[in-house]
Formats: sequence, structure tokens, C-alpha cells
Amino acid sequence: MTLTLEHVVKKYKDFTAVNDLNFKIGSGEIFGLIGQNGAGKTTTFRMILDLQDQTSGTITWDGTPIKKINRDYLGYLPEERGIFPQMKVEEQLFFFGQLRGMKREELKREIDFWINRFDLEEKRHNKAETLSKGNQQKVQLIASFIHKPRFLILDEPFSGLDPVNRDLLKDAILFLKEKGVTILFSSHQMDNVEELCDHLCLLKRGVSLFSGSLLDLKKQYGKTKLTLRTNIPKTELEKLAGVKEIKVDREEYVLTLIDESFAESIFEVVSNGQYIEKFSLDYLSLDEIFKDKVGGNGE
Amino acid sequence: MVNKLGLLIKQLYKQKVRAKSFILMTLLYVVVMAVITFWSDIKAIFVNDEALEVALINETAVELEPIFVTNEDIAFSFPAESTESVYEQLKEEEYDAVVVVTEENETLKADIATYGPLKLNDQSAISSFVQYAGKIYGIQQLNLTASEADKILNSEAMITTTNLDESVADGKSEDQKQSGIWASYFVGIVIYFFIMAFLSMITTDVASEKGSRALEMLLVSVKPSTHFQSKIIGISLLALTQFVIIFGSLLALLRFANGGEKWEMVDSILNELTYSYVFYVIAFLFLTIILFLIIGALFGSLVSKVEEASQVMTPAIMTALVGFYVMISGVANPDTMLIKVFSYIPLTSGMVMPLRIGATDINPIESIISLALLLITVIAFYMISLSFYKRSVLTYSSGGVIQKIKTVLKVTT
Repeated sequence: MTLTLEHVVKKYKDFTAVNDLNFKIGSGEIFGLIGQNGAGKTTTFRMILDLQDQTSGTITWDGTPIKKINRDYLGYLPEERGIFPQMKVEEQLFFFGQLRGMKREELKREIDFWINRFDLEEKRHNKAETLSKGNQQKVQLIASFIHKPRFLILDEPFSGLDPVNRDLLKDAILFLKEKGVTILFSSHQMDNVEELCDHLCLLKRGVSLFSGSLLDLKKQYGKTKLTLRTNIPKTELEKLAGVKEIKVDREEYVLTLIDESFAESIFEVVSNGQYIEKFSLDYLSLDEIFKDKVGGNGE
Repeated sequence: MVNKLGLLIKQLYKQKVRAKSFILMTLLYVVVMAVITFWSDIKAIFVNDEALEVALINETAVELEPIFVTNEDIAFSFPAESTESVYEQLKEEEYDAVVVVTEENETLKADIATYGPLKLNDQSAISSFVQYAGKIYGIQQLNLTASEADKILNSEAMITTTNLDESVADGKSEDQKQSGIWASYFVGIVIYFFIMAFLSMITTDVASEKGSRALEMLLVSVKPSTHFQSKIIGISLLALTQFVIIFGSLLALLRFANGGEKWEMVDSILNELTYSYVFYVIAFLFLTIILFLIIGALFGSLVSKVEEASQVMTPAIMTALVGFYVMISGVANPDTMLIKVFSYIPLTSGMVMPLRIGATDINPIESIISLALLLITVIAFYMISLSFYKRSVLTYSSGGVIQKIKTVLKVTT
């Protein structure tokens, strides 16, 4: 089962929200859609969910146009948080589950499982409006996949969650992946994307800057991030061949190299055959790549 | 899809019917209706309404006692004592008034003596007795028999109406028109109150779902059209529930209280109404409420948060208010041009047309045209709203109603 977007365009009267977007998500994969505010992420989600029509292009699920698939295959957590404020937590989950065609008995088991997993047992019979923001978010999240969808879209699922709940959510996403659910999610927090995603698409003002595996994206930049701890002064390091930029982070230097091939010669200079405390060559973090791409250099 | 529609309706209905505001509002309506119906009885409990004690001193040769008959407002007595002695008793407040009737130039003359001031109502009541006595006195001066006198006083012309235009049914009698006015006044008030209550309910409900973003989650599994329909049907059912509770209890009160005395009055009004009138009233009532619910749901979908709901509702509420006041103006005179014009405008025809049907000699074709216009408007509004709703429920914008509509059109076309 795969979701495929081919040449998808969404135009409004005076601007283009999404322009020629192409990507493919394999079955059971976690796919990240990243971009700044207004990049076209939510519009893309809405087109996939058939909440908005695309101007041109095709969106298919396993070869079938997305409009024709059973709606209950899909699950969605919108970016803005909100549920029925007057409904009790359990009642809410029953309502969303039944609306997706699930029987009460089966739902009961699922609700018990997730309420327990997300530590909401005490809140089960409370009205949603009395819950804290984080707890409301957890209820909404459960509501989005309580019907066991095959394909789940999570729009900014981590925003507003504290570190403990963020871990709970990460575990839940990985658990769903294990169960074979295909997940598409957006996030501003690149560490979450880096940790969870197999593949991603980087959007800037409706245009895809990159689409593919995370490793491929990193390989595009190569291993150009060099962290070292040395007594050599910064002015000396700046003179070394292949060094583009130097940042001082506490007792460490973080060098950005023009190319990873310069690393070896730099090692020889800074170690000079002596013991060196730290010399680490890495790929750029997704956060750095994102800033570089979206910051304007990537176009 | 039917199941999803059913689930949405059930959820909406259950949530609203259990809401404290709905229960309290329904009870309040029942109480208000009961108070209006039994106003005279309630008034009697609180207002000390003892009959006025009036002494009548007849100084004429004519027998006037049978004319001054004691009723629940005035108790007449005919003391044989002298006028002075009766006046003394008046001062001692044994009587509220003393009426001394004398003859002068073959005309009856009455002097109403009081010690304390008389209420206007009581004064008028005594005066009308005296006036009647004056007439009897005048007739008796002509030496007529009692039955001849009675005939003069009580004969009334029989009036029937016939319209020679065959397309118009024979004219309604005054009684029928009066009943029509009362029934239509009632229908107008019902439509108005239901519009006010349920227009606001549907608008705020859609607005709150949209504002809380629960709608986005719902719309992944149900089509906007299903959601829209669920709101219209759910709130209509709620309105029907309230209608049945309020009028069911009202009818029960009328039927069983005071041995059904009030029911006879309602029954006499109902008897004057034709089946076609009842059909039109139900059709206008139903279609007008549906029309306002469609507008309410559409307007609710335009706002970004529930706080803005009252802002978008205002135009619809103002329209209903205009219709209501036009209907009220028609209670005094249902044949004005204003009534005619508003009886064709779909948003107001529900309140105004029943008045014309019930209280004027209207050509049936006019009622059919008005109803057809309303029906076409409901269908057209439904179709337009459905397509617009789909686009507006996921569009968030600020500004006034027109600005919101412009934004929806801009970002969705």
C-alpha cells in the first residue's frame, strides 16, 4: 500500500499554495513533511484527505484515486487542537470510533488500551474542556487513530507537549508503525523528524526542495560538520584549507567544511601525531540542513 | 453514509436535549404559556376583586330592578329607605356607590353618588347599566310590549358575504376572520420564537465545532454535506421536541383545567378554521423554520470562532424581526399593501401569509404562489448553502459577513 502524489498543484486566485508536488510513501513507513509556516503542508494534507480539491495532479492510494477509497482508512490529527469541549473523554472516543464504523465492544478494548497507555484513566469521565491542553491533545490524538486507520496524518503532533508526553507520543507512533500503519506527519521540531522518519519531503512556499530518504538528504551535504576539542586558537583554525565557518560551542569548535575530503588533512594538522580529545566528523543535522535549504541557499 | 448521518444527528440531539439551557427554556415556555392561558384566574388570586356594592334608588314609576342585574363585578341592591338614609350608609362605606334614578322631561336621569373615588372601569360599568335602562325607559314611553321592546333592542342584521369572482371562495364570515387572526397571530409568534431560539442554536453549534477544530476531524470521515444535513435535521428534531412538549402541555392544561372551560374557547376558534388553512399554516411553519436553519448553519460555517456567531446572525434576526412586526401590524388590519408585499417574501411569508389566508378573502392562487416561492427558496438556499458550506467550514477569516464570504470565495475558487 502506498500513497503517491504526482504533479500536485493547488492554485488560488492570486497565489499558488502547492506547486508540482511529487512524493511517494511506502506501506508502514513514517514520512515527514517539513517546511516553515505557510509552506503548504496543511493544504497538502487537506488535498490528501479530500477536504480540498487539487487544481491539477493526482493523489492515489495503492493506485486508486484518494477520493474513491474508504474514508475510514484515514486518520487525521489537525494542527489546531480541539475536540468537543462539552463531551466526556470516553464518550468522545466512542463517538469518533463509531463514526468510523467500529462496534462498541471492539472500541471499548481500544479505548481502554490507549487511555491506559496515555495515562488518562483518571480523566476518562471528565469533560474535555476541563482537561489541560496537553491532555486534550492526547485525547484528540487517540481520537484520530482509535478506528485503526491504515493511513494516519498527524499535523504538528508534538507542538505543545512536554518532554514526557512527547516521548509517549513518539512511542505511540512507533507502535502504530509496527502495526503496519503508514504515517505522514509534519513538525517544526527537526529532532523528532530525524528520530522517527524514514523519508521526508522539504517544502518551501509550496515547492518541494527535496523528497526522498533522510540519509540521501544528508549525503547531499556530505559529512561536513567537524567537532573538535583542541588548544589551537580559532584564528589558526580559520586558516586551514577547506574550513568554511567556525563556531565556538563551550569548549568545542564546530567547523563547517567545504567538503568532507578536507577532514583528513585537518586531522593531521590539529592532532600533529599527538593525542586529541575530540575529533568528530558528522553529517549535518536535519535542523541545519533545513535552515540552509529553507533559509534561501537551497533554491 | 446513512449510519454516519444517523450518528451525527443522534449525538447532536442527545447533547442538546440534555443541555440545561434547553430544559430550562422549554420549562419557561410552558410556564409562560400557562400563565397567559390562565391569566384571569391568576389575576383573581392576586387582585382583590370583590363586587362593587351599589344601591339603586328608583324614583321613577318604571320598574327598573330587572335591568340592574347583579354580576361578578357589581352587586346591586334596592333599599327601601329614604335617599338620605342610604347616603348615610354610603358615608359609612356600606355601599361603594348610590345611584338615584329620576325622571325629567320624559328622560331618565341618574345621579351616581360616591364617598370614595370610583375606578374608571366601575364607573363605565354602572354607566352602561344606566344607559340600557334609559333605552328601556324610552321604549316603555312608546307603550310597546316587552317582546316588542326586546325585538328593537336585540335584533341584529344577518350578514353573509358572496364574492362574484369564482376563483375566490365565498367570503369568510367575520367570526372566521377573527378566528383566523387569532390563530395566525399565534402561528406568527410561534415561528418568531422558534426562529430566534433555533437559529441561534444552529449557528453557535456549527461555529463552536468549527472554532474548536472538532469539525476538521469530523470532516475526514463524513462529507460536509452529511454534516450540514445532520445539523438541519438534528436541530429541527429538537425544535419539534420543544414544540410537542410546550403545546402538548398547553393543550393538556386547557383540556383538563377548570373542567375544560378554556378548551371550549380554543375549540370554537379551531372550528372556524378550515383544513386548507391548517395545511398552509403547517407548511409555512415548517418551511420557514427550515429556511432559517439553513441560513443559520451557513452563517455558522463562516465564522472562525463561536464568539463571532452573534455578529453573523444579526441580518437573519433583523429579517425575522421585520416579519414579526409586519405580522403584528396586520392583526389590526390584515388588508394593507405592506402585508400583501411581505406575504410573498420567503423569509417573512411564513409569519405574514397565514394571516392573509386566515383573515382575508384571499385568492387561493396567491397562497399557492407564496408557498411555492418559499419552497423554491428553501431548495435553492439548500443547494447553494451545501456547496458553500463545504468551502467555508475550513476557511478561517476575519471581518464582517461580506468580507468572510469574499474570503471563502477567494481561497476556494
